[in-house]
Amino acid sequence: MKTTNKTLDLVSTLVAAALLAGTGTAYAQDEDLVKLTQPESYIGAGIGGQTGNPSDRSIWGQYNGMRQDDVYLLFDFDYNKRDDATGQWTKIYGYNLGLDTREAGISFEKQGDWKLGLDFNQLVHREIYTVNSGMLGYGSTTPTIPANYPAPGAGTEFNPKTTRLSLGLNGDKWLNKALQFQFNVKSEDKQGTRSWGRGYDCASYVCLGQIGNATSTTRQRWAVLWIPEDIDSNITQVDAKLNFHTDKLFLSGGYYGSFYNNKAGNMRLTVPGSLNNPFPPNSPFFGSAPLSGAAPGGTSLQNVLQDPMALAPDNQAHQFYLTGTYAFTPTTRGNFKAAYTHATQNSSFASMGLTDGTQPTNDLGGELNTLLLQAGLTAHPIPKLTLNANILYEDRKDKTPLAVYNIEGAAPSTTWTNTPIGLTKTTGKVEASYLLPAMIKGTLGVNYQKIDRDLPAPGVEVAGLTGLRGNTEEWGIRGELRRSISETITGAVSYEYRDRDGSDWWNLCTSAACTAAGLVYGGTYPNGTMQSANNDLGAYPYMLADRKQEKIRASADWLPTENLSIQFVVQNQSDRYAPPSSAGLQKTNMTTYSVDSSLALSESWKLTAYASLGEQKVHTGQNTGYRASIKDTTTAFGLGVVGKPTGKLEIGGKVSYLDDVTKYPFTLYDGNTNAAAINQINTYGGLPNVAYREFRLNAYGKYALQKNADIRVDLIHFWAQLHDYNWTYLGVPFTYQDNTTVSIDPNQQVTFLGVTYIYKFK
Amino acid sequence: MKPRRLLTISALHGIALALGIAIAVPAMAQSEGKKPRPDLVLTGDAKCTRCHDETEDYPVLAIGKTKHGTRADTRTPTCTKCHGDSETHANKPADAIERPAPDRAFGKRSKTPMAERSAVCLTCHQNSATRSHWDGSTHQTSEVACSTCHQIHTGHDKVRDKRTQPTVCFTCHKEQRGQIDRPSHHPIPEGKMTCSDCHNPHGSVGPKLMNRDTINDVCYTCHMEKRGPFVHNHEPVNEDCSICHNPHGTVTPTMLKMRPPFLCHSCHTPHSSNNIPSVNGQQVTGIASVGNTTGKSATNYAMARGCLNCHTQVHGTNNPSVMNPTPQFNLR
Repeated sequence: MKTTNKTLDLVSTLVAAALLAGTGTAYAQDEDLVKLTQPESYIGAGIGGQTGNPSDRSIWGQYNGMRQDDVYLLFDFDYNKRDDATGQWTKIYGYNLGLDTREAGISFEKQGDWKLGLDFNQLVHREIYTVNSGMLGYGSTTPTIPANYPAPGAGTEFNPKTTRLSLGLNGDKWLNKALQFQFNVKSEDKQGTRSWGRGYDCASYVCLGQIGNATSTTRQRWAVLWIPEDIDSNITQVDAKLNFHTDKLFLSGGYYGSFYNNKAGNMRLTVPGSLNNPFPPNSPFFGSAPLSGAAPGGTSLQNVLQDPMALAPDNQAHQFYLTGTYAFTPTTRGNFKAAYTHATQNSSFASMGLTDGTQPTNDLGGELNTLLLQAGLTAHPIPKLTLNANILYEDRKDKTPLAVYNIEGAAPSTTWTNTPIGLTKTTGKVEASYLLPAMIKGTLGVNYQKIDRDLPAPGVEVAGLTGLRGNTEEWGIRGELRRSISETITGAVSYEYRDRDGSDWWNLCTSAACTAAGLVYGGTYPNGTMQSANNDLGAYPYMLADRKQEKIRASADWLPTENLSIQFVVQNQSDRYAPPSSAGLQKTNMTTYSVDSSLALSESWKLTAYASLGEQKVHTGQNTGYRASIKDTTTAFGLGVVGKPTGKLEIGGKVSYLDDVTKYPFTLYDGNTNAAAINQINTYGGLPNVAYREFRLNAYGKYALQKNADIRVDLIHFWAQLHDYNWTYLGVPFTYQDNTTVSIDPNQQVTFLGVTYIYKFK
Repeated sequence: MKPRRLLTISALHGIALALGIAIAVPAMAQSEGKKPRPDLVLTGDAKCTRCHDETEDYPVLAIGKTKHGTRADTRTPTCTKCHGDSETHANKPADAIERPAPDRAFGKRSKTPMAERSAVCLTCHQNSATRSHWDGSTHQTSEVACSTCHQIHTGHDKVRDKRTQPTVCFTCHKEQRGQIDRPSHHPIPEGKMTCSDCHNPHGSVGPKLMNRDTINDVCYTCHMEKRGPFVHNHEPVNEDCSICHNPHGTVTPTMLKMRPPFLCHSCHTPHSSNNIPSVNGQQVTGIASVGNTTGKSATNYAMARGCLNCHTQVHGTNNPSVMNPTPQFNLR
């Protein structure tokens, strides 16, 4: 039979009919199913460009690798493959490969059996400030200030940055059904420079004969200099553990080793024979006054500034630990941890290049041994009642030998030793929760912490402090009502109160007033005695002072409709300190209010919004003459939208705004009658405000060119404003003695546009 | 072609198609009754995917993209292992007005107690070094369930990706949301660090859910140069980094809670009397004469790096020098 077109048409129709009868819609289901149930992979490649220059982008480009250049390659990929027959995974990823904040990794895993992974990470941190300096030897351990240092602003511009490169190897293996071995090794190199400094106000016993008085015009008495700290170090961490479990017991025993290695031991600055004092310009007190010149029994400011500065020494720590849990009954469970850490620092001073003067020892012989013990219990004696208890004991013993490292004063000088830093900390908590009607859980708890700290041995120098404390002890209570299960509204209200006091104060005051009141150095006296003997002057470390703390928090999560959720959070914390003085930190207060909402307009569109207001206050005073009531106010809001206008197009965007202002108003310290201080505070009130404002717009559109390929466009606009008196005020920069200045563009903005082609595959 | 022949062929096409459809529809219905519906992802999921299939608005099948959807691993749970047998949900009773919810649901409006939701996950994930201290931990006692943070039916669990994890944490931790946007911050907004680099939300021995035993131990994993010990230590440094720093972000450089001199003057008696912190150009006579003529002037300890202009080794120094001026004040 001749086969005609029409015959073929009929045959194909019959075949289609047969297929329809036999298979229904199977072909369409398989393709959808694969897409929905198989791991996805993608490669994204594109290009991005941005406006402005590096100064406009110093805050934006601090960590994102996009400060320096105008155009960047955008390249990411994520490969995820699973062998369904064996359960073996292969994952390879690379993110930000076109930037210097790139990371990549590869891992193989047989789920439930073993895993091996290797990862690489690069992070560059660029300081947001630009330094202008005539410094030579930037990036070395021997920077030099040339004799002909330039005028302010006429030097070379430096942007200090540090680069971290890390390589990690990790893995695990189930040795049998109950035993698993895990390990993680990470090595990170850190290189670069960081803004640092060197300064000294020459004490008369050091620069004897060089300075007559504060207004000497023949010899420079003091200098403050910027230097770039050279960084070239490595941190290596090794973590290995063995995990074992039965039905009731879980145990994990392991080793954690951490090692710090610094290739540089010290920095030595070279300083010319004379420097400048630009405060105020053309000061009658200083011109280019010489720093150098020997002094009988002493040295010169120049020599002091050129003394070696120690960089961080190598150090290492080894920890062995055992931790685990045990189910005593189905409703009672305990956990614990026991750990011992042996930490040492024995870098030889000679190897660090710290050889000026005769050393008391070859190295510090630093040794800290820490024992940690923890035990916790959770029980449900009846279904509605939960009991929790936890205790933690940490004992850090400082075994570092004491040696004479300090010398102070003209001959016969006073000698001092290094400072011990041992401490013992005991922390405990007991809590009971009961399920009340309406699914509300009520909780009451008591907590406790005691810290015993090593006190300085006789012969240890403690600078600028009036007293120390052997121990502090704090009790606290906490109450909470919480509702977590509801179709419309959940939330919680909690209140916590803590009260800290401690042992009598270890006196460091040797003033005439203290001596007259009968106080001896190293004697212990209560708050009241210290306060009255020292005429309510002198500062005490605030972490040792008596303190009353209150915290209140309330939150509510409201679901008025299926599509709308609104969340409210209010929290407040206040700390009131009671040192034996009106000087130092007295009280702090923090309050935050926030509201968040989310609205699903349809299956394809969703809106989000938030607003928050925060306020922090710090009250501190100084017996040099002032009290400061520092107040920081932060306002923030954001709006977001995500939607799918068509089946192929997805768009999204969010805007956020942050406004942070810190004010520094001063008042006179009690009893201060100094005319200049009164005049200063009355005229200027305090320091200028510090203000930071930021606006961000992030918008994107993603269009499906094909089933497995999208094109994505990203638009980002970043605006920031930073007003900070530290480096400049009213256009006048702070100038170091070698005319180095530091600056930042106070108004920055950058617009970034990126286009990326994304290919998806399985 | 003659019209009569064309009509005949077209009729044959139509009859063939109609026959195919007529056979297919009842055959499919018949196959449902006689042959069990195949599982789509997990063993035994046919009971659920009968309705929760690829047309579902909520992408339940996406669990197949994850380790929870790897059938080759014999530990992989089924739908009912997590959600319960849910018989009345799968087969709505005739007298029920609304279809009952599954025995165990994990959404916001679910009536399943939080402890029960977490208990399901813990049947497999309890025996883990990172979750050994879940019981009694802050999140557990605050009724945060595993499903509060984790998404299971998705190929991308936001909280397990460091680039999106912070948005999950900020659902409750609003204060930190504002802090990380301040100019001095860890690279969290840039996606290079995330909350779990420092915290273990599943419970830990350390304070504030630190993932190591103390706050300092966490900081030292990246900032080990501060560990010492040193010849001249600065005791609050060795006790707790957060005495001076707020690691979530501040406006003060190096994430200090307050800028010098105020931070330092919280503990130390300052130099000189009547030395009111002031900036260049905002000094009255008397303050200027004191303020600018010494290294310890009101300008030098308010501007630039403040007290750290001279006390550069604020974390401690290993300098053993016994030559005047000796470094016990952390000057070098």
